[in-house]
Amino acid sequence: MSQPTNPRPVLSVVVPLYNEEECVNALYEKIQDVCESLNMSYEIVFVDDGSSDRTAEVLHSIWKRNSSVRVVCFRKNYGQTAAMSAGFTHARGEIIISMDGDLQNDPADIPLLLGKLNDGFDVVCGWRKNRQDKFWTRRVPSVIANWMIGLVTGVRIHDNGCSLKAFRASIIKRVSLYGEMHRFIPAMTTQADARIAEIVVNHHARRFGKSKYGIGRVWRVLLDIITVKLITGFAARPMLWFGFLGFSFLLLALATMFTTQIGSTEFIPEEWTVIYTVAFLFFFLGFYLLALGIIGELSMKTGDFVPVQSLVPAKRKAD
Amino acid sequence: METTGTIVSENDMQQKEGSSEEAVQLSIVIPVSGRWGDLRDIYEQHAKEISATGYSCEFIFVLDGPDDRALQALRALKLEHPEILVIALNRWFGEATTLAIGLEHSRGSLVLTLPSYFQVEPFEIRRLPEKLKEGGYDMVVAWRHPRIDPLFNRVQAGIYRWLVALLTTTQYHDVSCGLRVMKRKVIEEIHLYGELHRFLPLLAYEQGFKVAELPVQQSRFDLARRMYEPGIYLRRVLDVLTLFFLIRFTKKPLRLFGLAGSAVSLTGLVILGYLGLNRLLGYAIAGRPLLILGVLLTVLGLQLFSLGLLGELIVFTHARDRKDYQIEEILQ
Repeated sequence: MSQPTNPRPVLSVVVPLYNEEECVNALYEKIQDVCESLNMSYEIVFVDDGSSDRTAEVLHSIWKRNSSVRVVCFRKNYGQTAAMSAGFTHARGEIIISMDGDLQNDPADIPLLLGKLNDGFDVVCGWRKNRQDKFWTRRVPSVIANWMIGLVTGVRIHDNGCSLKAFRASIIKRVSLYGEMHRFIPAMTTQADARIAEIVVNHHARRFGKSKYGIGRVWRVLLDIITVKLITGFAARPMLWFGFLGFSFLLLALATMFTTQIGSTEFIPEEWTVIYTVAFLFFFLGFYLLALGIIGELSMKTGDFVPVQSLVPAKRKAD
Repeated sequence: METTGTIVSENDMQQKEGSSEEAVQLSIVIPVSGRWGDLRDIYEQHAKEISATGYSCEFIFVLDGPDDRALQALRALKLEHPEILVIALNRWFGEATTLAIGLEHSRGSLVLTLPSYFQVEPFEIRRLPEKLKEGGYDMVVAWRHPRIDPLFNRVQAGIYRWLVALLTTTQYHDVSCGLRVMKRKVIEEIHLYGELHRFLPLLAYEQGFKVAELPVQQSRFDLARRMYEPGIYLRRVLDVLTLFFLIRFTKKPLRLFGLAGSAVSLTGLVILGYLGLNRLLGYAIAGRPLLILGVLLTVLGLQLFSLGLLGELIVFTHARDRKDYQIEEILQ
């Protein structure tokens, strides 16, 4: 029998599940074994993401037998980000560990993550160095995606897609996850000014069921990367983003008009028309982007987002 | 006559409070908006059918806007049958709001909405609550099948159904049928405005409720050929597009605008590339309209893309903590 439920456990393990009826029991036992050996109070939060199989019933029976288990059931399938987000919201521990429900992550890695977290980090990401997945459809796209995420967001992690991560609750609860942001959790935690580390973790081949992902989401991931960059980098200062683009186009237009005027190249009348049409269009585009920047600022001012940048000086003052 | 904000209620409020103590099992909400038939007939026939089921029920008529003839008809009906509740709005609010107000005033654990004209044969309404109970559904929608009205009506309904199915990837046959029954929790979670009442079943489905269809017999009084002004057709298409955006992209506008924008820009760039190639080969391109098209497409694409970015910004600053999910239960 597990430890009695504390008002607030130290550790919360959050596991989103979608149609994993074969795995749940084995997974639960493994997690519980590891947690018992840790000698700290813990809870396991299972999130059933609207499974159509018997996952919910299996979870119900586990919950009945163990006071350290909590279960959040979705009404229908909302996707992994929503499940993670709900898990984080309902977890009560000071440290939160997230992992996949398909037994590909190894609960035995939990102590490693905790150790690293104790070294003074806020977020510790697992890195599936020996990934047991199909090479062309899973691993190659993943390498490219991780490289791009690092390039664009500046958070260079080998394996953003690994669900096995450890967080300080105070950090992860400040991060809003929506859409399909679970792929970008490390980058998103920079919203909360987190110190991020990564360690190599085990990865097992799928034993049950089949993968719920495939290729064919490349374009969506690209757009999501841009969104994450927008949120983490520019949300606080929309005018910087739009203004930069807008001024580039204004300058481009002015430069085109100027250089063609002073240059020695002879143009026929049709060519003048084209050059000026293009220049004017870019000029207008520049203004349009500046106007959007103003709307962005407006949205920022009327919203409730407090950017990290404005929090940092206050923190230093407190020190 | 009671005046509450913008709502003029014809009901004696004390009487309502007095009767609210007994539990109501089934509320029947009838929005009277624009098109309406013989309201007394509608009430009497449906009341007869409902009373045969043994449910304790209440009838709520909500009249949209200043419609003197409808108001007179409802007054007469109220005099004859004091147990009904009549709510008259003092200006035109649209059918969705009218329906929403009716739902708000309903007290039953089950709520049945009924159109204000004969759309479905009255004897069919008993089958909806039955189906809801038997199948464990949260909502049951009537599906007029087989249809007996003119071919013209069926064709336009078919096109509409195809469009809705295409954009929402759901397979319901007759979402806009006014006859539906739902549990109380459904109406508590869904916010109706504009023209969204037409999509109530789809909105409920999106919220994760179990929604079923039930084939019912179309009323023999609903056989007139329906031909609308072109503006109405345009509005219906826009409604479906609104719904499409709301369901799929509310919290990820860049997915839509970014995709559309980059496709448009890419087309523009391909055109410009083709013209550039021509230029290198020595052809004159300055006089070609294609050049203007290419530049315009590139710029339009950029504009769409940046609108998407702005959308993301607005979502992030205003709605990032809005829940993306509905929880059925939490086991603590």
